[in-house]
Amino acid sequence: MQKKVLTEQALYFGDVAMPKDWDIDRDKLSGDILQSVIQNKDFPFSRTWDMLNTYMRDFIGLDYGINLVNKNSWGDIYKPGQVSKPLLNVDPVDLRNSPDFTMLYGVKVDKCWVRIHFDDNRRKGRSWDIELKKNMFVMFPSTNMYIVSNDQKDSLNFVQTITYEYI
Amino acid sequence: MAHFAKLGANSKVIQVLTLDNKDMLNADGVEDETVGQQYLETHNNWPAQMWIQTSYNTVGGTHRNGGTPLRGNYAGIGYTWDEDDQIFWPKKPYASWVKHNASASWKSPIGDAPALTAEQESQNTADTHSWSYVWNEANTTWDLTDSKA
Repeated sequence: MQKKVLTEQALYFGDVAMPKDWDIDRDKLSGDILQSVIQNKDFPFSRTWDMLNTYMRDFIGLDYGINLVNKNSWGDIYKPGQVSKPLLNVDPVDLRNSPDFTMLYGVKVDKCWVRIHFDDNRRKGRSWDIELKKNMFVMFPSTNMYIVSNDQKDSLNFVQTITYEYI
Repeated sequence: MAHFAKLGANSKVIQVLTLDNKDMLNADGVEDETVGQQYLETHNNWPAQMWIQTSYNTVGGTHRNGGTPLRGNYAGIGYTWDEDDQIFWPKKPYASWVKHNASASWKSPIGDAPALTAEQESQNTADTHSWSYVWNEANTTWDLTDSKA
């Protein structure tokens, strides 16, 4: 008897473990997120963003052999108590130009939860919850719908999103 | 063209980049690794000391063109940098194998595989057999196999 895995829905998560004294400048990222949201502009390129992006591409390539290519990037701000609408980063009628993976990074977050929805064959509508902490990432297939919630009453949550396709 | 390996926190090679030789010249016009490291820190957002120069032509502790070997092996993604021995090590092929610094390679605990006999060689040449020794990790032995059998 043999087994062949045709596809898998894998989630990747963990801390962004940069070298000592080379931490991601999360103040810079949150400032850029704020600016891009308020001014309704594209998220600006910065050295800090590049460090995060390069880290993801390098280590996903090293540990899992997946070569990632950038698709898009933006930041979101979640108000205290806010629960996002269900989010989906693929366009069902334009899958060719849709990303393969969505990566969320906790820039300035507190009690920020991500619920990722998935189907397990006929067992539809399952979900998996993970708390997105500061300097932590979670990456999952972009075909999975997800919801981000800010489960506290005091502060804004800043989340950076980068989408990728793999080659 | 110079090559530099980018190291992760655990000394694993996560990327290998090329660098124009003119970008690693010091004030005297001599190639200097630290200048290259500094250039890469500035332009690639990764600390200078975590870029280690590697030689494209160095394999198994020797230089392919007869030059001076540098750091054992040309670094590849997933290799491990050994600062003490100044060698880039590929992944260990079997749990029982040990480092052999002189050849910058992993060796079985009982040494290299035995040489094939003249008869086996001639059969391989005639393409009637394909004799080779394959490492048996469970028994820590070299097993003679004929892949055409």
